[in-house]
Amino acid sequence: MTARTFVWTGFLAILAFALMAASRFTLLDPVHNLTLDVTSPVQSLLSDSTRPIADWVNNITDARGLSQENKRLRAENERLTTELSLAREDSAELQALKDLQAIQQQFPDDTFLETSIVARDSSNTGAIVAISRGRSDGVREGMIVVTEGRSLVGTVSKAFDDYAWVRLITDPKSAVSAMVQESRAEGVVAGDYGGGLTMEFVGQGAAVKEGDFVVTSGVGGGYPPGIVIGRIARVRKTEQDLFQKVDVDHLASLSALERALVLMSFEPKGYDRP
Amino acid sequence: MRYVLGGGLAWFLAMFQASSVAQVHVLGVTPNLLLVMLVCWLVVRGLDDVLPMVAVAGITTGFVALETPGVALLALLIPIVLLGVVRELHVVHSELLLVAAMVLVASVLYEGVMLLGAMATGGVLDPLGGLTDAVAPAALVNLALMPPVYFVMRFARPDARRRPSYLL
Repeated sequence: MTARTFVWTGFLAILAFALMAASRFTLLDPVHNLTLDVTSPVQSLLSDSTRPIADWVNNITDARGLSQENKRLRAENERLTTELSLAREDSAELQALKDLQAIQQQFPDDTFLETSIVARDSSNTGAIVAISRGRSDGVREGMIVVTEGRSLVGTVSKAFDDYAWVRLITDPKSAVSAMVQESRAEGVVAGDYGGGLTMEFVGQGAAVKEGDFVVTSGVGGGYPPGIVIGRIARVRKTEQDLFQKVDVDHLASLSALERALVLMSFEPKGYDRP
Repeated sequence: MRYVLGGGLAWFLAMFQASSVAQVHVLGVTPNLLLVMLVCWLVVRGLDDVLPMVAVAGITTGFVALETPGVALLALLIPIVLLGVVRELHVVHSELLLVAAMVLVASVLYEGVMLLGAMATGGVLDPLGGLTDAVAPAALVNLALMPPVYFVMRFARPDARRRPSYLL
């Protein structure tokens, strides 16, 4: 290793730690905002122009079938299951409702801010997206983001002037107080490194089964109760464990999300900046 | 001049990685074209040439790929510097084998640093899950991506057509 290389390495290592420290103390927030301002058109152009190739590669490598069809079916599934879930939540009132109006009546006093996804975290150990709304639109850290079908997407983890980062529920740092809609068994839905969702701390005696809906419980005040997270895909239960582990399929196709809604009327309690 | 060109290429690659490659999922992970190209560049051109590119790529990735600035730079710097030192030892004579091994090791190190970073800042403490769901698949996918990237760079080198060292 030459002296020049040694100096470069030392400089870059110090720079890396300095950037991490500056980010921790929010000194880089204006730079983030400016970067997204400058690069989001380039990113959109690159993303749109290469999407057919990406879809083609995904189709080839996707053993389950065509990703477009999958995306469409997931959206359809999300809409239908959300409607079904909401109908179960208050069946006497909601059985009469047959279309999207049913969903809107669940949140009569809530206001939503429509936004689009402008960038994605490209790492394999996190799940964050950037949305096109920021502090100037009233978006604050801790606010809840849902899909157009009103299923949970995640939480605003950083708000800049014109943009915000949303930590998806599949992110390994995400944890949502949740309950099984049918049995009211409570637990915590957490993301993992494979992009999946697991409901933890579900008691051994709790009645949970595949196909049950999982919704936010509202415990802790970070999320309003009743927002649909997903459906139970698998229940793992052994005699030795204190709790059951429940795999949850999220309803929204989060990896292909293009638009979302920020729930403006809900004020999360006790949200600390990550 | 070559540093300016290298920096420009690194910036474009970081942008391309964040906006285009991020849409592709193979074995549940996103291929890291940026890392593969930097490792191939390291094998073909050496550590001196690639370090300025690491700087530009790491900083750009930190800001455009929604990662904590500095973590991506560190995750790129560690494998590149370590493998740059290994390259100088000339322990493997076949360049193709060398670059394959280096892509594999670099991917494990890169994803390992990102995984540690995620766990250290509040991510779920599941190193085994991280290894099986993120690190190992990413290493395999990057390895599969290596041959075309390497051959483009290998044959872009002026003397490559005369003496293909991967055949040695």
